[in-house]
Amino acid sequence: MATEKELSDFLKSVEKRAFKRSIYHVRDEEAALDIVQDSMMKLAEHYAEKPASELPMLFQRILSNTTLDWFRRQKTKNALFTNFNEFETESGPDEMDFLDIKSSENESLMGESAEQNFSHSQNVQEIEEEIKKLPARQREAFLLRYWEELDVSETASAMGCSEGSVKTHCSRAIQALYSALTAKGIKP
Amino acid sequence: MTTGFKPTFSTHDIFARRVVQKLDNSLDELPHHVSERLRVARVRALGMQKRTTEQAIFAPSIQIQNGVATLGHGPAPDSGNSPLWEKLMSFLPLIVLLLGLMIIHEFQNDLRVRELADVDQALLLDDLPPDAYTDPGFLKFLSVPRESVESTQ
Repeated sequence: MATEKELSDFLKSVEKRAFKRSIYHVRDEEAALDIVQDSMMKLAEHYAEKPASELPMLFQRILSNTTLDWFRRQKTKNALFTNFNEFETESGPDEMDFLDIKSSENESLMGESAEQNFSHSQNVQEIEEEIKKLPARQREAFLLRYWEELDVSETASAMGCSEGSVKTHCSRAIQALYSALTAKGIKP
Repeated sequence: MTTGFKPTFSTHDIFARRVVQKLDNSLDELPHHVSERLRVARVRALGMQKRTTEQAIFAPSIQIQNGVATLGHGPAPDSGNSPLWEKLMSFLPLIVLLLGLMIIHEFQNDLRVRELADVDQALLLDDLPPDAYTDPGFLKFLSVPRESVESTQ
């Protein structure tokens, strides 16, 4: 069973990467923070009795599933609001679309975040943008394999796919990143 | 992080490592409010672990130790690893009690039969006075079946 210190040290070591990974996926700072917090709580609540050595894999799975849950909720929410908006537009075409407001808010938030990051490091910003552009599975495989330093079988287990798929996703992700960054004149 | 990761220094891997190195460097540049939210989330998670552990400790459970089952709280020591025979041994006192009750029951039955046999034997062996055969009550007693006499007693 992981002690309080072991769990604390583990969470401290992964929390920033987890946040970054989440934000690459959901592109919303608040949502990414909520996802990381939910994942931490789930790990502590349901797997507190597990040994410390099992925490990394468990956390990666929980984080992936919590992110998927967020996307599912968003899909349902968007479907609901889409129906709502279809109904609302009948009352007057000049009224503002709630989804448009929300998306423009997100874009402005992302814009602010991009500006802040740009001032710190242009290269990192460009790399992150390219990572965000990757297909979700390629991005997940690349980040798990190289950033979280899971081996191929662990990555396959965390993603629920075969080792061959992991290798393919990683290879395609690296090729895409290499092409995009080289085109921008960035050499990591 | 796992220790089983063995990098192969192919071009792909070198490029990937450089990319994640850049990402790693950017982690220290997270805004303060994000770092603070992550810290709070971590503290909450640790609080959750503490509560979960306490609930496990104070939850009522049957503990089996040295072949004795007792009602206590918290996880039973070695409950997951105790061999089957040790669990069965905890039922030994119950088995002994049942065997004891069966033996006492048999012994009492045997004692009662012996007492009745002694009475019958004494009656059969005792001398019967000749006047008894002239007593209508005694003749009536002899004519009544033995079982009905015993049941009235």
